[in-house]
Amino acid sequence: MKSMARLFTGFIASLLEAWQELRIHKLRVLLSLVGVTIAVASLTTAVAGASVAQQLMTEQLERSGRPALINTYAFNQRSDDLPAADAAVTEAFKKTTERFDVEYASMVSRASGYRMLHQGTSIDPELLVADPAYASIHRLFAQYGRWLEAEDAQNLAPAVVIDRTVAQKLGLDENSLPASVDIDVAGQVVSATVIGATSTRDGGLDGQVWMLPQTYEHWFAAKAPLTDATYEMWVPVENAEELAVHFSAQMRAELPGYQVEAMRSDYLTWGGDENLRMLALVAGGIAGIILLLGSLSLLNVAMVTMKQRIREVGIRRSFGATTGRVFFSVLMESVVATAVAGGIGVLISVAVVTNPKILNMFLGSGIDQMPPFPVGAALAGILISIGVGALTGVLPALVAARVKIVDAIRV
Amino acid sequence: MRDTQLLKLESVTRSVLLPDDSELHILNGINLSVSEGDHIAIVGRSGTGKSTLLNILGLLDRPTTGHLAWRGIDATKLSARRAAHIRGRDLGFVFQQFNLLPGRTALENVMAPLMYATGADFWRRKTLATEALEKVGLGARLDSMPQTLSGGEQQRVAIARALVRRPRVVLADEPTGALDVATGRAVMELLDAATVESGAALITITHDINVAAMAREQFQLDEGTLKPLTLEVTS
Repeated sequence: MKSMARLFTGFIASLLEAWQELRIHKLRVLLSLVGVTIAVASLTTAVAGASVAQQLMTEQLERSGRPALINTYAFNQRSDDLPAADAAVTEAFKKTTERFDVEYASMVSRASGYRMLHQGTSIDPELLVADPAYASIHRLFAQYGRWLEAEDAQNLAPAVVIDRTVAQKLGLDENSLPASVDIDVAGQVVSATVIGATSTRDGGLDGQVWMLPQTYEHWFAAKAPLTDATYEMWVPVENAEELAVHFSAQMRAELPGYQVEAMRSDYLTWGGDENLRMLALVAGGIAGIILLLGSLSLLNVAMVTMKQRIREVGIRRSFGATTGRVFFSVLMESVVATAVAGGIGVLISVAVVTNPKILNMFLGSGIDQMPPFPVGAALAGILISIGVGALTGVLPALVAARVKIVDAIRV
Repeated sequence: MRDTQLLKLESVTRSVLLPDDSELHILNGINLSVSEGDHIAIVGRSGTGKSTLLNILGLLDRPTTGHLAWRGIDATKLSARRAAHIRGRDLGFVFQQFNLLPGRTALENVMAPLMYATGADFWRRKTLATEALEKVGLGARLDSMPQTLSGGEQQRVAIARALVRRPRVVLADEPTGALDVATGRAVMELLDAATVESGAALITITHDINVAAMAREQFQLDEGTLKPLTLEVTS
């Protein structure tokens, strides 16, 4: 019990001594820790930044379809090498997805030969005919208004969702939705309602517009029938390939005379995440080099300082400081200092990584869902700084512990 | 109480090996006994081994041969850790150059030894240090930095620091060496009074006969040998 009390007071006293030492030598400590602060800030930013970049890259990659994405194409003799978009295929796809209990499935077809008009402005956006699940499959969110729902097919006017490019070109913003626009298909002008707008800019120069297949069929198919379609499913990654095989077999059974293909086509199948790994490795490597340089400069300053403090160590030994206590106190000075420096480094990192302006400056693109600052990165930053403090504190602590009291007092 | 023996040196020698492999004998067969309440002065010219003897008495150094006992225990066989604990708890040092810790206030300097204490002494270190400084007349200079204090005040801080853990023995190495005569005398009177009050033994190493005369026992260290000295007190 007595030895425990001695250990406890010894630990507290070492911390107090370390803090006192740092307080007295603020400027020296501050200058010697600049390197560590920058290194920890860089390292933490690299780890956290990689997480944010991963989010951004994931968002961008998933716009082409979230893993696992299975594309199904059905060809017949009339489809002229393009996957057919007729009602039989749509019906077969619907039946098969129900049979395989697929939650997210959508027909996707690109319509052509139409214009969108609003208050004297005329544009030619890409019109995508898709089911409501398309948004989930392609990670789309309505920034303003809402995304398409199955019930929108019953609306008295065609419901459409536009992207940011279209919204800007037509001068539509959050307050102007729902907005009425005109869609001109082969001379037939239909008044449509814009019910939502996404934040994406993935289409061509004039942006993208989405509409339900039933809506297109009802209002525009007579003038400009869809020529081709792809059928997409977002399914769990596990056994996705196996599902694709069984799905295409079932579709073939449903569609005699058609040639059906179903295959995975999400970014994981072509290694789209490799760039991300490289980014994290490069950023981590650079931060590691900065950390090494910062640590060496810290060690250098600590060694020089310790030589100037030999007399002080001797005086403390005359007070009854044991070798172990002197070693631990000097080590704690380094650990406390680097922990503080690491804390500041992590705060700088948080300020950088969670600032959308700075992020967009580096990443050059908006991010839909800002991920929280990764706790792991903050903890790693603090632990690394404590580790650096311990490593760079060992040598000066050994020098201090090996001081001969008699010689030290005479210095 | 006066008979309680604290330190006993029997035939203590101390020699060091020089770079040319020859041996330098600093102390030769020192015999000395220190009991509670003693006030001993050891005089000698520079280079006669006074500081070496003080280091051995303060468990900072070990004899080459001979016997050194701390309260009946063979101190030559003490571990470094145990010696450090005894130093912290039972020995107080006053140095010629004061040896105050730079950058710390007078109060922080006096609190410094209590950082190595346990229990109430550790947790009440600020109160104890304040009381110690008040006893040496520096209650109004608690937050003063050493460089803003006069030599005499700095030595009084050093005395407060030496006494704050209520040691059994105070070892003073030329405590007036860096002070003028009047200040030196005042410091010695303070040191004497403080040790008398606490019951601690005081061993003063000095080359100043007048300082030595303030002790109750005097010894002369000459060429490494300790001999009793009788002084005619002059004022």
